Amino acid sequence: MHRCLDPGLSIIVGAVDEHGRPSTCRAIAIDSGDDLETLKVFLPVATSHETIKNVATTKRLAVVATYPFDNSATQLKGQAIEARLASEQEGVFVRERLEAFIGSLRGFGVPGRIAGSLAHWPAFAVTIRVEQIFEQTPGPNAGRRIR
Amino acid sequence: MKIRLSDIKRAFQGIVPSSVATADSDGVPNITFVSQVYFVDDRHVALSCQFFNKTRRNLDKNPLAAAEVIDPLTLQAYRLRLKFLRSEKSGPLFDTMSLRIDAIASHTGMTGIFRLIAADVFEVESVEIVEGFLTAPVDAPCEDVSIEGARTEMRGLQLVSERINRASDLEWLLASVLESLEEFFNFSHTSILLWDEANRRLTTMASRGYGKSGIGAEVALGEGLIGTVAREKRLLRLSSLEADLRYGRTIRREATGAARALAEEIPLPGLPDAQSVLAIPLTLGDRLVGVIAAEDRDPMRFSEWHEAYLEIIANQIALGIDRMIERGDEAGEDAVVAAAAEPSAAVRCRAKRRLTYYRHDDAIFVDDEYLIRNIPARILWKLLGESQRTGRTEFSNREMRVDSSLGLPPVKDNLESRLILLRHRLQEKCPDLQLVSTGRGRFALKAEASLELVER
Repeated sequence: MHRCLDPGLSIIVGAVDEHGRPSTCRAIAIDSGDDLETLKVFLPVATSHETIKNVATTKRLAVVATYPFDNSATQLKGQAIEARLASEQEGVFVRERLEAFIGSLRGFGVPGRIAGSLAHWPAFAVTIRVEQIFEQTPGPNAGRRIR
Repeated sequence: MKIRLSDIKRAFQGIVPSSVATADSDGVPNITFVSQVYFVDDRHVALSCQFFNKTRRNLDKNPLAAAEVIDPLTLQAYRLRLKFLRSEKSGPLFDTMSLRIDAIASHTGMTGIFRLIAADVFEVESVEIVEGFLTAPVDAPCEDVSIEGARTEMRGLQLVSERINRASDLEWLLASVLESLEEFFNFSHTSILLWDEANRRLTTMASRGYGKSGIGAEVALGEGLIGTVAREKRLLRLSSLEADLRYGRTIRREATGAARALAEEIPLPGLPDAQSVLAIPLTLGDRLVGVIAAEDRDPMRFSEWHEAYLEIIANQIALGIDRMIERGDEAGEDAVVAAAAEPSAAVRCRAKRRLTYYRHDDAIFVDDEYLIRNIPARILWKLLGESQRTGRTEFSNREMRVDSSLGLPPVKDNLESRLILLRHRLQEKCPDLQLVSTGRGRFALKAEASLELVER
């Protein structure tokens, strides 16, 4: 379960507006300092307008972190308790995680020059209180609640 | 600027996984990666439903969804606002999506477990570029077909047709087709497998661009990518083979607790690191003749453009092969003429060969190494036995055909292809034993070593 916090993972988030219309965007990094009781999600400002708007409205956020090499994945769902611009100090962590993800992409033949141009900064830092954690690895167990 | 789905088709090839967001009736979002969002037309896309997962359950309660797809060459992202319309459990769209999944399932030993339940069709309400997704734009290599390129390929099509029509025997036909594909389409790793109705298997009869020819390698109907194409008689183009196989293996790993036993994974014939595959059935009406397959390390190697061309060529190849088989005796000896080659000095030094026929397996081994099985094995064993008993070394196609113990089908017996296969296998595994033409419909068994025959 805690593997979802490893570096090099591919991370996506889903949110929803007040009319039930979902939105999605990519996250650059996630972090947790309290055994996944809360989760901090870093979203590029450039690409997360709709998601941030939805989080501000409905508070709901779903996050999936996937190991690109074996597709093992975890989904965390919860309610936002804070959304703000990430600090410069957090920027160091975001850039480290971006580098790790670029390393993963290189493993699939994506040139570092291209992967390195993924938008990542400035970023929003959205903290959610984690309510549910699910197994998301493709297969018959996908969707099984693990916490 | 309005973006049409057909303008961003690369993003639907499944090379980069897409994300799909849904929400339940309580407004709780769900997000998941999917291996591929399928392009249907400029207003519709489809998702494969392989498990009744949360995404699928959400759609039954709230049809709204969002997807993000990525162009694999530029890494530019696009967002789609979707509305779920219906689940299709049959029809052309289902068959197309199912073929791809069945092929991957078969290749990873997941047949029957990893399967398409339904093709979920969505209306695309809007599509927009994700502005700012990349800090610097990446130029995509030009993939449009230039006028000059089209001329070259049209000329290629014409020349391939000519070569097929000019072919005097099956072996020449197959070799010239593969040579032409490399010459005009730059397909450098190709193979042709022919369907053997008696054996109910496909046998590799020609290949190009591989270290080992693989001639004689067999594939059962429905087995792996090529076997699935043969069973369904439908073209298959995979652009992200490694990702697809990884996805299939993940499900296999997750499903190991399932009750039924899983089949062993079938190794891909050809390139161990192929990233893209194009396999085209060779058919005449509903009758399967074989499969032509091309692979490449470039995941974007094959396009719709190639599909269209190769389907035309495939029809001509199928006709050409059928023509050769119909000709029977008249063509058979020519193939064997081409076989005649002097053994090397090194070969001549070999004093003794032991050939063992395993009756139970219907297979012949040379010095404990597999040589050939089924009808070609029976043909060789007949020749060797006759030669040892009577001293005869000359034989005719006709006597092979009338010998019921060989099990040749009464019509379309494929004798020529069986002799080609036998000759190639002898060249590879026992070059001091050859089949050499001695005239129309006749051939000789030529041995440069003393032979010990063992039957078990």
